[in-house]
Amino acid sequence: MIQVENLCRRYGPHTALDGISFEAAPGEVVGLLGPNGAGKTTTMRILTGYMPPTSGRAVVAGFDVQTQSMQARAAVGYLPERVPLYPDMTVAGYVTFWAQMRGIRKARTAAQQALEQVDLWDRRRSLVRSLSKGMRQRLGLAQALVHAPSVVILDEPTIGIDPQQVIDVRQAVRGLGVKHTVLFSTHILTEAEQVCDRVIILNQGRIVAHGTPSELRATLYAGDRLYVQVSKLNPEAALKALKSATGVARVEPSDGGYLVYGQPNIAPGRTSQVRSRRPAG
Amino acid sequence: MIGVGTVFRRELAAYFTSPIAYLIGAAFLLVTALVFNSNLTLALTQEPVNPAIVPNALSFFLIFFGPVLTMRLLAEEAREGTLELLLTTPVTEVAIVLGKFLSAWVFYSLLLAATLVYQIILSNVTQPETGQAIAAYIGIWLYGGAALAVGLLCSALTESQVVAAFLSVAVLLLLYLGELAGQIVASIDMANLLRRLSMPGHYIGSFASGLVRFEDIIYYAGVIAIALFLTLRLVELRRLR
Repeated sequence: MIQVENLCRRYGPHTALDGISFEAAPGEVVGLLGPNGAGKTTTMRILTGYMPPTSGRAVVAGFDVQTQSMQARAAVGYLPERVPLYPDMTVAGYVTFWAQMRGIRKARTAAQQALEQVDLWDRRRSLVRSLSKGMRQRLGLAQALVHAPSVVILDEPTIGIDPQQVIDVRQAVRGLGVKHTVLFSTHILTEAEQVCDRVIILNQGRIVAHGTPSELRATLYAGDRLYVQVSKLNPEAALKALKSATGVARVEPSDGGYLVYGQPNIAPGRTSQVRSRRPAG
Repeated sequence: MIGVGTVFRRELAAYFTSPIAYLIGAAFLLVTALVFNSNLTLALTQEPVNPAIVPNALSFFLIFFGPVLTMRLLAEEAREGTLELLLTTPVTEVAIVLGKFLSAWVFYSLLLAATLVYQIILSNVTQPETGQAIAAYIGIWLYGGAALAVGLLCSALTESQVVAAFLSVAVLLLLYLGELAGQIVASIDMANLLRRLSMPGHYIGSFASGLVRFEDIIYYAGVIAIALFLTLRLVELRRLR
């Protein structure tokens, strides 16, 4: 559904994307994870046809974003980081407008379906300016889904909304994976783990890691760290017992107890064979 | 063209849902009413009525009304981030720019049509020169189109509506004052050239006195075409930033 080959993008002397390649299969939810300025938004802007790449190729739903831009754009639903709103329009009018812009004939029906999907149909007559932040985010989502696109691109959809709404949005994104291919960006690791089938980690315009959340856990996890206090055994015996436990890399005496470092690349929790108390902080 | 109608309808509706447009409309009618009224008073005692008086006054006042009508069009979209989304829809930049320009021109035409009430009043109290009135209205309609196209161009240059408005007032004022260049430029040829480039230079001498000349129509069409072309380029440039 999405194929990206060796994509580069420069802004003057600054290189935002330095030759990234990845693919997304139909129905897959792919997460782009990385710090600010890693190239997530640039990647999405190229895939949505907003800006051309400096070099490389991107194909969305079978259409090249440069040579078949119009077809590619019609197949993509996009929610930018800052939800683009027309404050003076009604909720229904806003979604209908975007449906018409994407060439949908029965725009009103499509708008109704999209609004029902994001649970905003009750507010269809309200002005966009009167909606709360979470509702605005859902309205942005409705706009991105109204033309039933095969690819949905969401740029940090959980930024700046309250925790309950974050959970709602995550569930909504998860649910989209049934009908759409979803590309979704975040800089929160746990969010990517919960929502995505596959995660691509970007840093400074390059892909630094790529895989399913559990694969990434296994390769990138630095290991557990536990603080252990022993009361009944003598110190030497305790040290020996801790060092011989499975998955333990190193033990250091510290503050009347022991700091136990687990081996890296082992899923969390597996180190703890001894009854333990995590250090504060 | 796909999308022109959609953009056009949204923009026109935006004029009618925003209070600012009603304020502009009220100011527009108030100013023209004052001008018409004073002309009518003069006509009783001193000179015959001039049916082109309201369009003539607008040739000056459009310097201010035009920019207020257009300042929002692209600057607001850029600031709110909606331009980014517009540019990812399967609609060309040409359609977006045209749709916006046409909405402003149609809204202006509606305001202009409202001033026709003065012509009706005039024809009840005297027998005005209908031909001259029609020519003047055609002229000021084209003149307004050109002013709005310049305003749209300025709106594409910035994300701030205020900056867009000031910029287009400045540009329109320059285009307006070219008419007076003869008073400060020594060379007659130079003064003539500047006058021919000025917006009122193609209105006052011709349309206002009942003359519809091809060259004047071409001038306004040319200003519209150049301004829209530059606007289009500026919108396309946004993709590269």
